[in-house]
Amino acid sequence: MTGHPAAAARFLDDAARAAWHDQSLWFMRQKRDRGSALPEWESLRFAGSALKAHAMSRLADLLEEFERRATANGVVVHWARDAREHNAIVLGILRTAHVTRVSKSKSMLTEECGLNPFLEAQGIEVVDTDLGERIVQLAGEAPSHIVIPAIHWKREEIGALFHRTMGTPAGETSPDALAAAARVHLRDALLHAGAGITGANALVAETGGVVVCTNEGNADLGMHSAPIHIACVGIEKIIATRDDLGVLLRLLARSGTGQPVTAYTTHVTAPRPGAAMHVVLVDNGRTARLADAAMRTALHCIRCGACLNTCPVYRRSGGYSYGTVIQGPIGAILAPAIDLDAHQALPYASTLCGSCVDVCPVRIDIPAQLLAWRARGAAAGRLPRGYGIVFEVLRRVLGTPATFARATRWARRVQRLVPAAWLSGRWNPWTRPGRALPVLADESFREWARRERNQP
Amino acid sequence: MTARDDVLAAIRAADVPAAPAASVPTAIVDRTDLHAAFLRVLTVVGGVGAVLSPGQSVPQLVSELLGAIGAQAVIVPGRFAVAENGAVYVDSDDVTARIAIVLAEHLVVVVPHAAIVPTMHEAVRLMPAESRCGWFLSGPSKTADIEQSLVFGAQGSRTHCVVFDIATGVG
Ligand code: SF4
Repeated sequence: MTGHPAAAARFLDDAARAAWHDQSLWFMRQKRDRGSALPEWESLRFAGSALKAHAMSRLADLLEEFERRATANGVVVHWARDAREHNAIVLGILRTAHVTRVSKSKSMLTEECGLNPFLEAQGIEVVDTDLGERIVQLAGEAPSHIVIPAIHWKREEIGALFHRTMGTPAGETSPDALAAAARVHLRDALLHAGAGITGANALVAETGGVVVCTNEGNADLGMHSAPIHIACVGIEKIIATRDDLGVLLRLLARSGTGQPVTAYTTHVTAPRPGAAMHVVLVDNGRTARLADAAMRTALHCIRCGACLNTCPVYRRSGGYSYGTVIQGPIGAILAPAIDLDAHQALPYASTLCGSCVDVCPVRIDIPAQLLAWRARGAAAGRLPRGYGIVFEVLRRVLGTPATFARATRWARRVQRLVPAAWLSGRWNPWTRPGRALPVLADESFREWARRERNQP
Repeated sequence: MTARDDVLAAIRAADVPAAPAASVPTAIVDRTDLHAAFLRVLTVVGGVGAVLSPGQSVPQLVSELLGAIGAQAVIVPGRFAVAENGAVYVDSDDVTARIAIVLAEHLVVVVPHAAIVPTMHEAVRLMPAESRCGWFLSGPSKTADIEQSLVFGAQGSRTHCVVFDIATGVG
């Protein structure tokens, strides 16, 4: 096994931790259920889907409209074809202003572009200021969840990390005390940075506004204290109107954390007097996605995290098992477009239960795209190792009712004769300790029905 | 070709079929007492708030609500409040420095009593057209990044207080 199945198996080796992870995410899902209990929720989701489809259909016009307004307001707008150009633009801005230390609030785009390692290699210090991101950064890790980057960290481990890096007392595990230490540590970094980098949750063409949502306030501390604010944004973040923004803001936090809205929702259209503001618009594969009609709607994602929280596979395999910047169901349909070879197993990291599409605030049909990626992978001869044989066997067995009936009869006999422990042994990739093969019924439904019918 | 030209050309070449603008769904909300609804949500998101009584001054009410720390609070005017999520809109034109919004340990936002809307659908339409920067603030700064335990006072304000002023709105 390689790729996701192998990584997931390793994750599950620590059964207690895997169960804890599963529970933590399910707790998020429940918060989302409570938060989204609005009578008009479903029509809001339809509106969310519609406003994104509209924005994609007018993407070039809306980006130009945004650029026109932003430029008139004194914002410098940059365009980048790919990650390399994006990083070069950011570096250029920082070099021109002799900046050696930057603060950065949460931005999945900069993760995607590998901005941190790039800047650090150029001698520029980057401090991630979202608490969860700072935790993983201090530990030399990447986020394991797009909304809750350190969801896989336990408080004792965070306590030990902060003891080592921030000098908190040994053994300190109270979230209040640890967050208080982080507050001092991060405020210092935020207020002494030469530039504040942020992502954006939306760009509004009608207002020329960059919208950033946080609970911690770190994006605001960064962008309003440093002399330079750089917003790094994927082109698909544009929406047409302020009405669209109203819909999006009603959906976003409720879907992600169950909150009615984030603590801070910042709409910034112009730099403050004496400061500079830059917006870097990044393609990096998005226009290719846009041209792919069957997979296009993946661009509608507002990165709320709801599909991760609800996914039975994500919850039980952890963010790192995906090996991608964006994890979970949405990650599994985004990554194959970037590299089908590297991510050929991801479309299979799903039971196709459809829970993701049910919670998605913009109604992306993730299971349909997972299935479409499986088909593309197979057509391109890129099946994960061993899958080809399994599919061939399944095709034969499930292909005709008679073989299926014969196979189940045979399987039942085998299960009766062979010890259960052996059937669930190491050789069988579908079982593991605590997850045995289900016992087949003594009688199939057809046999039962035949017997019933024959009764007087 | 510049990157800009290339990206725009690639978008246009993708030839996405036209999709109509979204219509704003009708929110089904109780509009009888928006202030009470607002204050209820404000408590849930970790803020405190009240409606100013006749004859009472803003500092009086603030010290009633916040006690001793009320004296250290930074008081800013808010333009309007949103009942569904406990948010108040503050515009950068009304504050001395943008950073004050997050730097203040204790923030008090004074909102005109009549300036309240049920949901974000109405709220976004009230955002000033010429705004250079504005915030919807809902409760104090918070984090749940440590094992999902909710902690108030992450990096921004520790205390968030909203006062509805019957007279002018701005104390
Ligand atoms: S795909 Fe949908 S549910 Fe998943 S993160 Fe994106 S918007 Fe949220």
